Amino acid sequence: MRRISALLRKEWRESLRNKMVLFGVAVLPLLLVGMAIYMMKTEAGLDDPVGEAVLFNTSLMYFLLLPAVIPLAIAVYSIVGEKEQSTLEPLLATPLTDIELFLGKALASVIPALLVNWASFGLFLIATLVVVGGIPLTALTPPWLAAIFGLSPLLALFSVGVTMVISSRASDARAAYQFSSFAILPAIIPLIVYSTRRTLVSVGLVALQGGILAVACAAILFFAVRVFRREQILTRWK
Amino acid sequence: MITARGLTRRFGQRMAVEGLDLDVAKGEVFGFLGPNGAGKTTTVRMLAALIAPTSGEATVAGVRLGTDNQAIRSKVGVLTEAPGLYKRLSAFDNLVFFARLQGERDPRAVAEKYLRLFGLWERRGDAAGSLSKGMRQKLAIARALLHEPQVIFLDEPTAGLDPEAARSVRELIEALRSRDRTIFLCTHNLAEADRLCDRIALFKTRLVTLGQPEALREARYGRRTLVRLARPMPGIGQALELPFIRSIESKDGELVVSLKDPAAENPSLVRRLVELGAEIQSVEELRVPLEEMYLDLMEGEDETD
Repeated sequence: MRRISALLRKEWRESLRNKMVLFGVAVLPLLLVGMAIYMMKTEAGLDDPVGEAVLFNTSLMYFLLLPAVIPLAIAVYSIVGEKEQSTLEPLLATPLTDIELFLGKALASVIPALLVNWASFGLFLIATLVVVGGIPLTALTPPWLAAIFGLSPLLALFSVGVTMVISSRASDARAAYQFSSFAILPAIIPLIVYSTRRTLVSVGLVALQGGILAVACAAILFFAVRVFRREQILTRWK
Repeated sequence: MITARGLTRRFGQRMAVEGLDLDVAKGEVFGFLGPNGAGKTTTVRMLAALIAPTSGEATVAGVRLGTDNQAIRSKVGVLTEAPGLYKRLSAFDNLVFFARLQGERDPRAVAEKYLRLFGLWERRGDAAGSLSKGMRQKLAIARALLHEPQVIFLDEPTAGLDPEAARSVRELIEALRSRDRTIFLCTHNLAEADRLCDRIALFKTRLVTLGQPEALREARYGRRTLVRLARPMPGIGQALELPFIRSIESKDGELVVSLKDPAAENPSLVRRLVELGAEIQSVEELRVPLEEMYLDLMEGEDETD
Protein backbone atom coordinates (compact mmCIF):
# COMPACT_ATOMS: atom_id res chain seq x y z
CA MET A 1 0.00 0.00 0.00
CA ARG A 2 2.89 2.36 0.82
CA ARG A 3 4.41 1.78 -2.59
CA ILE A 4 1.08 2.38 -4.38
CA SER A 5 0.65 5.58 -2.40
CA ALA A 6 4.22 6.67 -3.31
CA LEU A 7 3.50 5.98 -6.97
CA LEU A 8 0.21 7.91 -6.84
CA ARG A 9 1.90 10.95 -5.29
CA LYS A 10 4.65 10.85 -7.88
CA GLU A 11 2.19 10.50 -10.75
CA TRP A 12 0.14 13.47 -9.59
CA ARG A 13 3.18 15.64 -8.95
CA GLU A 14 4.37 14.90 -12.47
CA SER A 15 0.94 15.47 -14.03
CA LEU A 16 0.63 18.84 -12.28
CA ARG A 17 3.93 19.87 -13.86
CA ASN A 18 2.98 18.61 -17.32
CA LYS A 19 1.12 21.24 -19.33
CA MET A 20 -0.03 18.73 -21.94
CA VAL A 21 -1.65 16.51 -19.34
CA LEU A 22 -3.17 19.46 -17.49
CA PHE A 23 -4.53 20.79 -20.77
CA GLY A 24 -6.03 17.40 -21.63
CA VAL A 25 -7.65 17.07 -18.22
CA ALA A 26 -8.95 20.60 -17.79
CA VAL A 27 -9.82 21.93 -21.22
CA LEU A 28 -12.41 19.38 -22.39
CA PRO A 29 -14.56 19.58 -19.22
CA LEU A 30 -14.47 23.38 -19.26
CA LEU A 31 -15.31 23.43 -22.95
CA LEU A 32 -18.26 21.05 -22.56
CA VAL A 33 -19.64 22.84 -19.50
CA GLY A 34 -19.26 26.21 -21.26
CA MET A 35 -20.99 24.88 -24.36
CA ALA A 36 -23.85 23.37 -22.35
CA ILE A 37 -24.40 26.57 -20.41
CA TYR A 38 -24.36 28.64 -23.59
CA MET A 39 -27.02 26.42 -25.18
CA MET A 40 -29.12 26.45 -22.02
CA LYS A 41 -28.95 30.23 -21.84
CA THR A 42 -29.98 30.56 -25.47
CA GLU A 43 -32.90 28.17 -24.94
CA ALA A 44 -33.96 29.90 -21.70
CA GLY A 45 -34.67 33.07 -23.65
CA LEU A 46 -37.23 31.21 -25.80
CA ASP A 47 -39.45 30.33 -22.82
CA ASP A 48 -39.65 26.69 -23.83
CA PRO A 49 -39.49 24.44 -20.72
CA VAL A 50 -39.60 21.21 -22.77
CA GLY A 51 -36.77 22.29 -25.05
CA GLU A 52 -34.85 23.41 -21.98
CA ALA A 53 -35.27 20.00 -20.36
CA VAL A 54 -34.15 18.23 -23.55
CA LEU A 55 -31.08 20.42 -23.74
CA PHE A 56 -30.36 19.80 -20.09
CA ASN A 57 -30.61 16.05 -20.68
CA THR A 58 -28.27 16.30 -23.65
CA SER A 59 -25.79 18.20 -21.49
CA LEU A 60 -25.92 15.48 -18.85
CA MET A 61 -24.53 13.04 -21.42
CA TYR A 62 -21.26 14.94 -21.36
CA PHE A 63 -20.73 13.73 -17.82
CA LEU A 64 -20.83 10.14 -19.04
CA LEU A 65 -18.32 10.93 -21.75
CA LEU A 66 -15.80 12.78 -19.59
CA PRO A 67 -14.94 9.89 -17.22
CA ALA A 68 -13.95 7.81 -20.23
CA VAL A 69 -11.99 10.56 -21.99
CA ILE A 70 -10.13 12.30 -19.14
CA PRO A 71 -8.17 9.22 -17.93
CA LEU A 72 -6.78 8.67 -21.43
CA ALA A 73 -4.57 11.74 -21.21
CA ILE A 74 -3.15 10.71 -17.85
CA ALA A 75 -2.97 6.95 -18.39
CA VAL A 76 -1.24 6.99 -21.77
CA TYR A 77 1.28 9.52 -20.56
CA SER A 78 1.81 7.55 -17.39
CA ILE A 79 3.46 4.67 -19.27
CA VAL A 80 4.64 6.58 -22.34
CA GLY A 81 6.20 9.25 -20.13
CA GLU A 82 8.14 6.64 -18.19
CA LYS A 83 9.52 5.22 -21.40
CA GLU A 84 10.29 8.59 -22.94
CA GLN A 85 12.22 9.71 -19.87
CA SER A 86 13.95 6.30 -19.59
CA THR A 87 12.58 6.03 -16.06
CA LEU A 88 10.78 2.77 -16.63
CA GLU A 89 13.79 0.53 -16.01
CA PRO A 90 14.86 2.21 -12.75
CA LEU A 91 11.23 2.06 -11.62
CA LEU A 92 10.92 -1.62 -12.51
CA ALA A 93 14.20 -2.34 -10.73
CA THR A 94 12.59 -1.47 -7.37
CA PRO A 95 10.61 -3.91 -5.20
CA LEU A 96 7.38 -2.52 -6.71
CA THR A 97 5.32 -5.53 -7.84
CA ASP A 98 3.54 -5.72 -11.20
CA ILE A 99 0.13 -5.45 -9.55
CA GLU A 100 1.25 -2.45 -7.44
CA LEU A 101 2.56 -0.78 -10.56
CA PHE A 102 -0.69 -1.45 -12.38
CA LEU A 103 -2.89 -0.25 -9.51
CA GLY A 104 -0.76 2.84 -8.91
CA LYS A 105 -0.87 3.84 -12.55
CA ALA A 106 -4.59 3.02 -12.91
CA LEU A 107 -5.70 4.85 -9.77
CA ALA A 108 -3.54 7.84 -10.67
CA SER A 109 -5.75 8.21 -13.77
CA VAL A 110 -9.14 7.12 -12.42
CA ILE A 111 -9.25 9.27 -9.26
CA PRO A 112 -8.57 12.65 -10.90
CA ALA A 113 -10.87 11.74 -13.80
CA LEU A 114 -13.77 11.12 -11.42
CA LEU A 115 -13.03 14.20 -9.34
CA VAL A 116 -12.83 16.40 -12.43
CA ASN A 117 -16.01 14.86 -13.86
CA TRP A 118 -18.04 15.32 -10.71
CA ALA A 119 -16.60 18.79 -10.14
CA SER A 120 -17.57 19.70 -13.72
CA PHE A 121 -21.07 18.34 -13.06
CA GLY A 122 -21.29 20.49 -9.92
CA LEU A 123 -20.06 23.49 -11.86
CA PHE A 124 -22.64 22.82 -14.56
CA LEU A 125 -25.49 22.68 -12.02
CA ILE A 126 -24.35 25.88 -10.32
CA ALA A 127 -23.91 27.64 -13.66
CA THR A 128 -27.35 26.46 -14.80
CA LEU A 129 -28.86 27.78 -11.59
CA VAL A 130 -27.13 31.13 -11.95
CA VAL A 131 -27.40 31.65 -15.70
CA VAL A 132 -30.76 30.01 -16.48
CA GLY A 133 -32.34 30.75 -13.13
CA GLY A 134 -33.16 27.20 -12.10
CA ILE A 135 -32.38 23.52 -12.66
CA PRO A 136 -35.05 21.66 -14.65
CA LEU A 137 -35.78 19.02 -12.05
CA THR A 138 -37.94 17.02 -14.43
CA ALA A 139 -34.81 16.34 -16.45
CA LEU A 140 -32.44 15.72 -13.55
CA THR A 141 -33.98 12.38 -12.67
CA PRO A 142 -32.64 9.77 -10.22
CA PRO A 143 -31.65 7.46 -13.13
CA TRP A 144 -29.48 10.27 -14.53
CA LEU A 145 -27.86 10.86 -11.16
CA ALA A 146 -27.32 7.10 -10.82
CA ALA A 147 -25.72 7.07 -14.25
CA ILE A 148 -23.42 10.02 -13.53
CA PHE A 149 -22.31 8.80 -10.12
CA GLY A 150 -22.61 5.04 -10.60
CA LEU A 151 -21.44 4.53 -14.16
CA SER A 152 -18.60 7.09 -14.13
CA PRO A 153 -16.22 4.93 -12.06
CA LEU A 154 -16.89 1.95 -14.32
CA LEU A 155 -16.38 4.00 -17.49
CA ALA A 156 -13.14 5.42 -16.10
CA LEU A 157 -11.91 2.00 -15.02
CA PHE A 158 -12.67 0.48 -18.40
CA SER A 159 -10.95 3.33 -20.18
CA VAL A 160 -7.85 3.02 -18.01
CA GLY A 161 -7.83 -0.78 -18.32
CA VAL A 162 -7.85 -0.60 -22.12
CA THR A 163 -5.21 2.14 -22.12
CA MET A 164 -2.93 0.20 -19.79
CA VAL A 165 -3.19 -2.94 -21.92
CA ILE A 166 -2.44 -0.99 -25.08
CA SER A 167 0.37 1.03 -23.50
CA SER A 168 2.09 -2.05 -22.17
CA ARG A 169 1.73 -3.98 -25.43
CA ALA A 170 2.28 -1.23 -28.00
CA SER A 171 5.70 -0.88 -29.50
CA ASP A 172 5.71 2.91 -29.54
CA ALA A 173 4.04 5.93 -28.03
CA ARG A 174 2.15 7.01 -31.13
CA ALA A 175 0.50 3.61 -31.47
CA ALA A 176 -0.46 3.71 -27.80
CA TYR A 177 -2.15 7.09 -28.22
CA GLN A 178 -4.01 6.02 -31.36
CA PHE A 179 -5.32 2.70 -30.13
CA SER A 180 -6.28 4.03 -26.70
CA SER A 181 -9.13 6.01 -28.23
CA PHE A 182 -11.02 2.70 -28.48
CA ALA A 183 -11.34 2.92 -24.71
CA ILE A 184 -14.18 5.46 -24.99
CA LEU A 185 -16.44 3.14 -27.02
CA PRO A 186 -18.45 1.93 -24.00
CA ALA A 187 -19.22 5.56 -23.20
CA ILE A 188 -20.18 6.47 -26.75
CA ILE A 189 -22.58 3.61 -27.51
CA PRO A 190 -25.09 4.42 -24.70
CA LEU A 191 -24.84 8.10 -25.61
CA ILE A 192 -25.91 7.30 -29.14
CA VAL A 193 -28.84 5.29 -27.77
CA TYR A 194 -29.88 8.12 -25.44
CA SER A 195 -29.43 10.87 -27.99
CA THR A 196 -31.57 9.13 -30.62
CA ARG A 197 -34.33 9.05 -27.98
CA ARG A 198 -35.03 5.42 -28.81
CA THR A 199 -35.31 4.78 -25.13
CA LEU A 200 -35.60 6.85 -21.95
CA VAL A 201 -32.93 6.83 -19.32
CA SER A 202 -34.42 4.60 -16.68
CA VAL A 203 -33.14 2.82 -13.60
CA GLY A 204 -33.37 -0.46 -15.49
CA LEU A 205 -31.33 0.86 -18.39
CA VAL A 206 -28.68 2.30 -16.11
CA ALA A 207 -28.54 -0.98 -14.19
CA LEU A 208 -28.23 -2.93 -17.44
CA GLN A 209 -25.48 -0.63 -18.67
CA GLY A 210 -23.78 -0.84 -15.28
CA GLY A 211 -23.95 -4.64 -15.33
CA ILE A 212 -22.47 -4.87 -18.82
CA LEU A 213 -19.79 -2.34 -17.91
CA ALA A 214 -18.96 -4.16 -14.68
CA VAL A 215 -18.43 -7.41 -16.61
CA ALA A 216 -16.39 -5.60 -19.27
CA CYS A 217 -14.32 -3.89 -16.56
CA ALA A 218 -13.68 -7.16 -14.76
CA ALA A 219 -12.63 -8.77 -18.05
CA ILE A 220 -10.35 -5.93 -19.15
CA LEU A 221 -8.78 -5.54 -15.69
CA PHE A 222 -8.22 -9.29 -15.45
CA PHE A 223 -6.59 -9.24 -18.87
CA ALA A 224 -4.65 -6.05 -18.10
CA VAL A 225 -3.17 -7.48 -14.90
CA ARG A 226 -2.15 -10.60 -16.80
CA VAL A 227 -0.42 -8.72 -19.63
CA PHE A 228 0.94 -5.83 -17.58
CA ARG A 229 4.24 -7.59 -16.91
CA ARG A 230 7.49 -5.76 -16.38
CA GLU A 231 9.31 -8.00 -18.81
CA GLN A 232 6.76 -7.32 -21.55
CA ILE A 233 6.90 -3.58 -20.99
CA LEU A 234 10.66 -3.52 -20.74
CA THR A 235 11.42 -5.58 -23.81
CA ARG A 236 8.57 -4.49 -26.10
CA TRP A 237 9.04 -0.76 -25.89
CA LYS A 238 11.59 0.47 -28.39
CA MET B 1 27.33 -12.57 -3.92
CA ILE B 2 26.44 -13.34 -7.55
CA THR B 3 26.58 -16.79 -9.06
CA ALA B 4 25.28 -17.77 -12.46
CA ARG B 5 25.24 -21.18 -14.06
CA GLY B 6 24.31 -21.68 -17.67
CA LEU B 7 22.37 -18.41 -17.69
CA THR B 8 20.78 -18.11 -21.11
CA ARG B 9 18.34 -15.70 -22.67
CA ARG B 10 16.82 -15.85 -26.11
CA PHE B 11 14.56 -13.30 -27.77
CA GLY B 12 12.73 -15.37 -30.37
CA GLN B 13 15.41 -16.84 -32.59
CA ARG B 14 18.07 -14.42 -31.41
CA MET B 15 20.42 -15.60 -28.70
CA ALA B 16 21.23 -12.67 -26.40
CA VAL B 17 23.11 -14.48 -23.62
CA GLU B 18 24.37 -18.02 -23.91
CA GLY B 19 25.35 -20.28 -21.03
CA LEU B 20 26.89 -17.67 -18.76
CA ASP B 21 28.78 -19.05 -15.76
CA LEU B 22 30.26 -16.63 -13.26
CA ASP B 23 30.90 -16.05 -9.57
CA VAL B 24 31.31 -12.57 -8.14
CA ALA B 25 32.50 -12.30 -4.54
CA LYS B 26 31.30 -9.90 -1.86
CA GLY B 27 33.14 -6.58 -2.04
CA GLU B 28 34.44 -7.28 -5.53
CA VAL B 29 34.39 -4.77 -8.37
CA PHE B 30 33.62 -6.95 -11.36
CA GLY B 31 34.03 -5.53 -14.85
CA PHE B 32 31.70 -6.83 -17.54
CA LEU B 33 33.10 -5.77 -20.88
CA GLY B 34 31.88 -6.32 -24.38
CA PRO B 35 30.83 -4.54 -27.56
CA ASN B 36 27.42 -2.99 -28.11
CA GLY B 37 24.79 -5.69 -28.53
CA ALA B 38 26.92 -8.27 -26.73
CA GLY B 39 24.16 -8.99 -24.19
CA LYS B 40 25.54 -7.03 -21.23
CA THR B 41 22.30 -5.17 -20.54
CA THR B 42 20.28 -8.37 -20.89
CA THR B 43 22.62 -10.03 -18.38
CA VAL B 44 22.19 -7.17 -15.91
CA ARG B 45 18.42 -7.25 -16.39
CA MET B 46 18.37 -10.97 -15.63
CA LEU B 47 20.59 -10.63 -12.57
CA ALA B 48 18.55 -7.68 -11.30
CA ALA B 49 15.38 -9.80 -11.62
CA LEU B 50 13.87 -7.59 -14.29
CA ILE B 51 13.57 -10.26 -16.94
CA ALA B 52 13.59 -14.02 -16.61
CA PRO B 53 16.28 -16.22 -18.14
CA THR B 54 15.23 -18.69 -20.82
CA SER B 55 17.31 -21.31 -19.02
CA GLY B 56 20.02 -21.58 -16.41
CA GLU B 57 20.02 -20.26 -12.88
CA ALA B 58 21.53 -17.52 -10.78
CA THR B 59 21.70 -16.45 -7.17
CA VAL B 60 22.01 -12.77 -6.32
CA ALA B 61 22.60 -11.53 -2.75
CA GLY B 62 21.66 -14.97 -1.44
CA VAL B 63 18.33 -15.17 -3.28
CA ARG B 64 17.80 -17.53 -6.15
CA LEU B 65 16.47 -15.87 -9.27
CA GLY B 66 12.79 -16.65 -9.80
CA THR B 67 12.06 -17.60 -6.18
CA ASP B 68 11.66 -14.12 -4.70
CA ASN B 69 12.46 -11.52 -7.32
CA GLN B 70 11.04 -8.73 -5.17
CA ALA B 71 13.63 -9.56 -2.49
CA ILE B 72 16.38 -9.46 -5.10
CA ARG B 73 15.22 -6.05 -6.28
CA SER B 74 15.32 -4.74 -2.73
CA LYS B 75 18.91 -5.96 -2.35
CA VAL B 76 20.33 -4.62 -5.59
CA GLY B 77 20.80 -1.12 -6.94
CA VAL B 78 20.73 -0.52 -10.68
CA LEU B 79 22.21 2.41 -12.55
CA THR B 80 20.92 2.18 -16.09
CA GLU B 81 22.81 3.56 -19.07
CA ALA B 82 20.53 6.61 -19.23
CA PRO B 83 20.13 8.34 -15.83
CA GLY B 84 16.35 7.86 -16.09
CA LEU B 85 15.20 10.66 -13.81
CA TYR B 86 11.79 12.28 -13.64
CA LYS B 87 12.77 15.51 -15.34
CA ARG B 88 9.83 17.55 -14.08
CA LEU B 89 10.37 16.52 -10.48
CA SER B 90 13.02 18.11 -8.29
CA ALA B 91 16.21 16.26 -7.39
CA PHE B 92 14.83 15.89 -3.86
CA ASP B 93 11.44 14.54 -5.02
CA ASN B 94 13.16 12.04 -7.31
CA LEU B 95 15.09 10.55 -4.40
CA VAL B 96 12.16 10.70 -1.96
CA PHE B 97 10.02 8.77 -4.43
CA PHE B 98 12.56 5.97 -4.83
CA ALA B 99 13.28 5.91 -1.08
CA ARG B 100 9.55 5.37 -0.53
CA LEU B 101 9.46 2.55 -3.09
CA GLN B 102 12.42 0.94 -1.33
CA GLY B 103 10.47 1.05 1.93
CA GLU B 104 12.76 3.52 3.74
CA ARG B 105 11.23 4.64 7.05
CA ASP B 106 12.24 8.25 6.64
CA PRO B 107 12.47 8.85 2.87
CA ARG B 108 13.11 12.58 3.23
CA ALA B 109 16.05 12.04 5.59
CA VAL B 110 17.52 9.41 3.24
CA ALA B 111 17.12 11.77 0.28
CA GLU B 112 18.81 14.55 2.19
CA LYS B 113 21.69 12.28 3.25
CA TYR B 114 22.44 11.25 -0.33
CA LEU B 115 21.98 14.72 -1.82
CA ARG B 116 24.49 16.05 0.69
CA LEU B 117 26.85 13.11 0.06
CA PHE B 118 26.86 13.82 -3.66
CA GLY B 119 27.11 17.59 -3.27
CA LEU B 120 23.64 18.19 -4.70
CA TRP B 121 21.90 19.55 -1.61
CA GLU B 122 22.07 23.14 -2.82
CA ARG B 123 20.28 22.10 -6.02
CA ARG B 124 17.67 19.93 -4.29
CA GLY B 125 14.73 22.03 -5.44
CA ASP B 126 15.77 22.18 -9.09
CA ALA B 127 13.96 20.05 -11.63
CA ALA B 128 16.12 17.03 -12.48
CA GLY B 129 15.88 17.97 -16.15
CA SER B 130 17.61 21.29 -15.47
CA LEU B 131 20.70 19.73 -13.86
CA SER B 132 23.97 19.28 -15.74
CA LYS B 133 24.75 15.83 -17.17
CA GLY B 134 27.27 15.16 -14.40
CA MET B 135 24.77 16.15 -11.72
CA ARG B 136 22.08 13.99 -13.27
CA GLN B 137 24.45 11.04 -13.30
CA LYS B 138 25.32 11.63 -9.65
CA LEU B 139 21.63 11.82 -8.81
CA ALA B 140 21.02 8.55 -10.64
CA ILE B 141 23.86 6.90 -8.74
CA ALA B 142 22.44 8.26 -5.47
CA ARG B 143 19.10 6.71 -6.43
CA ALA B 144 20.78 3.34 -7.00
CA LEU B 145 22.49 3.51 -3.58
CA LEU B 146 19.95 5.07 -1.25
CA HIS B 147 18.61 1.74 0.06
CA GLU B 148 22.15 0.54 0.81
CA PRO B 149 22.04 -2.38 -1.64
CA GLN B 150 24.41 -5.31 -1.32
CA VAL B 151 24.94 -5.55 -5.05
CA ILE B 152 25.19 -2.55 -7.37
CA PHE B 153 24.89 -2.83 -11.14
CA LEU B 154 26.45 0.14 -12.88
CA ASP B 155 25.95 0.44 -16.62
CA GLU B 156 28.41 2.92 -18.14
CA PRO B 157 28.57 5.11 -15.05
CA THR B 158 31.02 7.62 -16.53
CA ALA B 159 29.77 7.71 -20.11
CA GLY B 160 29.48 11.26 -21.38
CA LEU B 161 30.83 12.84 -18.20
CA ASP B 162 33.55 15.48 -18.17
CA PRO B 163 36.89 14.32 -16.69
CA GLU B 164 36.21 15.89 -13.31
CA ALA B 165 32.77 14.32 -12.93
CA ALA B 166 34.10 10.98 -14.22
CA ARG B 167 36.86 11.08 -11.62
CA SER B 168 34.40 11.74 -8.81
CA VAL B 169 32.30 8.76 -9.97
CA ARG B 170 35.41 6.55 -10.03
CA GLU B 171 36.32 7.71 -6.54
CA LEU B 172 32.83 6.83 -5.43
CA ILE B 173 33.16 3.32 -6.86
CA GLU B 174 36.42 2.90 -4.97
CA ALA B 175 34.73 4.12 -1.79
CA LEU B 176 31.92 1.61 -2.29
CA ARG B 177 34.43 -1.19 -2.71
CA SER B 178 36.00 -0.24 0.62
CA ARG B 179 32.51 -0.52 2.17
CA ASP B 180 32.27 -4.15 1.00
CA ARG B 181 29.66 -3.52 -1.67
CA THR B 182 29.71 -5.79 -4.68
CA ILE B 183 29.85 -3.83 -7.89
CA PHE B 184 28.99 -5.22 -11.30
CA LEU B 185 30.39 -2.66 -13.71
CA CYS B 186 29.47 -2.63 -17.39
CA THR B 187 31.69 -0.26 -19.29
CA HIS B 188 33.32 0.49 -22.61
CA ASN B 189 35.97 2.52 -20.86
CA LEU B 190 38.72 -0.09 -20.74
CA ALA B 191 41.20 2.09 -18.87
CA GLU B 192 38.55 2.62 -16.21
CA ALA B 193 37.89 -1.12 -15.98
CA ASP B 194 41.63 -1.80 -15.76
CA ARG B 195 41.96 0.67 -12.94
CA LEU B 196 38.87 -0.17 -10.91
CA CYS B 197 38.08 -3.83 -11.41
CA ASP B 198 39.38 -6.72 -9.35
CA ARG B 199 38.37 -9.05 -12.15
CA ILE B 200 36.96 -8.57 -15.61
CA ALA B 201 34.89 -10.70 -17.93
CA LEU B 202 35.03 -10.17 -21.68
CA PHE B 203 31.65 -11.05 -23.05
CA LYS B 204 30.07 -11.37 -26.44
CA THR B 205 26.83 -13.33 -26.15
CA ARG B 206 28.97 -15.87 -24.31
CA LEU B 207 31.89 -15.50 -21.95
CA VAL B 208 35.12 -14.97 -23.88
CA THR B 209 37.46 -14.83 -20.91
CA LEU B 210 37.39 -14.03 -17.23
CA GLY B 211 40.06 -13.20 -14.66
CA GLN B 212 42.16 -10.51 -13.05
CA PRO B 213 43.28 -8.00 -15.68
CA GLU B 214 46.95 -8.59 -14.85
CA ALA B 215 46.61 -12.38 -14.88
CA LEU B 216 44.80 -12.29 -18.22
CA ARG B 217 47.55 -10.13 -19.68
CA GLU B 218 50.22 -12.43 -18.35
CA ALA B 219 48.49 -15.53 -19.65
CA ARG B 220 48.16 -14.03 -23.11
CA TYR B 221 51.32 -11.97 -23.50
CA GLY B 222 53.61 -13.10 -20.70
CA ARG B 223 55.52 -10.50 -18.66
CA ARG B 224 57.91 -8.35 -20.57
CA THR B 225 60.62 -5.85 -19.80
CA LEU B 226 61.50 -3.05 -22.19
CA VAL B 227 65.16 -1.97 -22.11
CA ARG B 228 66.11 1.17 -24.04
CA LEU B 229 69.77 1.41 -24.98
CA ALA B 230 71.64 4.64 -25.60
CA ARG B 231 72.83 3.22 -28.96
CA PRO B 232 71.82 0.11 -30.92
CA MET B 233 73.98 -3.00 -30.30
CA PRO B 234 73.26 -5.62 -33.00
CA GLY B 235 73.44 -9.19 -31.73
CA ILE B 236 73.27 -8.29 -28.05
CA GLY B 237 70.05 -10.31 -27.67
CA GLN B 238 71.80 -13.57 -28.58
CA ALA B 239 74.77 -12.68 -26.42
CA LEU B 240 72.76 -12.36 -23.22
CA GLU B 241 72.47 -16.14 -22.64
CA LEU B 242 70.49 -15.94 -19.39
CA PRO B 243 68.49 -19.08 -18.43
CA PHE B 244 65.37 -17.20 -17.24
CA ILE B 245 64.83 -15.35 -20.53
CA ARG B 246 61.90 -16.86 -22.42
CA SER B 247 62.25 -14.83 -25.61
CA ILE B 248 63.81 -11.60 -26.76
CA GLU B 249 63.07 -9.10 -29.52
CA SER B 250 65.54 -6.43 -30.49
CA LYS B 251 64.87 -3.39 -32.69
CA ASP B 252 66.41 0.11 -33.00
CA GLY B 253 68.14 0.13 -29.64
CA GLU B 254 65.15 -1.36 -27.83
CA LEU B 255 65.04 -4.83 -26.30
CA VAL B 256 61.74 -6.47 -25.34
CA VAL B 257 62.58 -9.35 -23.03
CA SER B 258 59.95 -11.89 -22.01
CA LEU B 259 60.48 -13.00 -18.40
CA LYS B 260 58.72 -15.08 -15.80
CA ASP B 261 59.21 -12.67 -12.88
CA PRO B 262 60.48 -9.26 -14.00
CA ALA B 263 60.79 -7.91 -10.46
CA ALA B 264 63.27 -10.65 -9.49
CA GLU B 265 64.99 -11.06 -12.84
CA ASN B 266 65.40 -7.47 -14.05
CA PRO B 267 68.50 -6.77 -11.85
CA SER B 268 70.35 -9.78 -13.34
CA LEU B 269 69.29 -8.74 -16.82
CA VAL B 270 70.57 -5.19 -16.33
CA ARG B 271 73.86 -6.44 -14.80
CA ARG B 272 74.45 -8.74 -17.78
CA LEU B 273 73.71 -6.00 -20.31
CA VAL B 274 76.19 -3.67 -18.59
CA GLU B 275 78.79 -6.46 -18.61
CA LEU B 276 78.29 -6.72 -22.36
CA GLY B 277 79.00 -3.00 -22.70
CA ALA B 278 75.46 -1.74 -23.14
CA GLU B 279 74.63 1.80 -22.06
CA ILE B 280 71.17 1.62 -20.59
CA GLN B 281 68.83 4.56 -20.95
CA SER B 282 65.75 3.12 -19.20
CA VAL B 283 64.20 -0.13 -17.98
CA GLU B 284 60.47 -0.59 -17.55
CA GLU B 285 57.99 -3.38 -17.36
CA LEU B 286 55.84 -3.50 -20.49
CA ARG B 287 52.14 -3.48 -19.69
CA VAL B 288 49.88 -4.31 -22.60
CA PRO B 289 46.89 -1.94 -22.49
CA LEU B 290 43.64 -3.72 -21.69
CA GLU B 291 42.30 -2.22 -24.90
CA GLU B 292 44.85 -4.15 -26.96
CA MET B 293 44.00 -7.41 -25.24
CA TYR B 294 40.27 -6.69 -25.60
CA LEU B 295 40.61 -6.04 -29.32
CA ASP B 296 42.76 -9.16 -29.81
CA LEU B 297 40.29 -11.35 -27.98
CA MET B 298 37.21 -9.89 -29.64
CA GLU B 299 38.84 -10.23 -33.05
CA GLY B 300 39.45 -13.88 -32.25
CA GLU B 301 35.84 -14.20 -31.18
CA ASP B 302 34.66 -12.66 -34.47
CA GLU B 303 36.71 -15.23 -36.38
CA THR B 304 35.17 -18.02 -34.29
CA ASP B 305 31.68 -16.73 -35.18
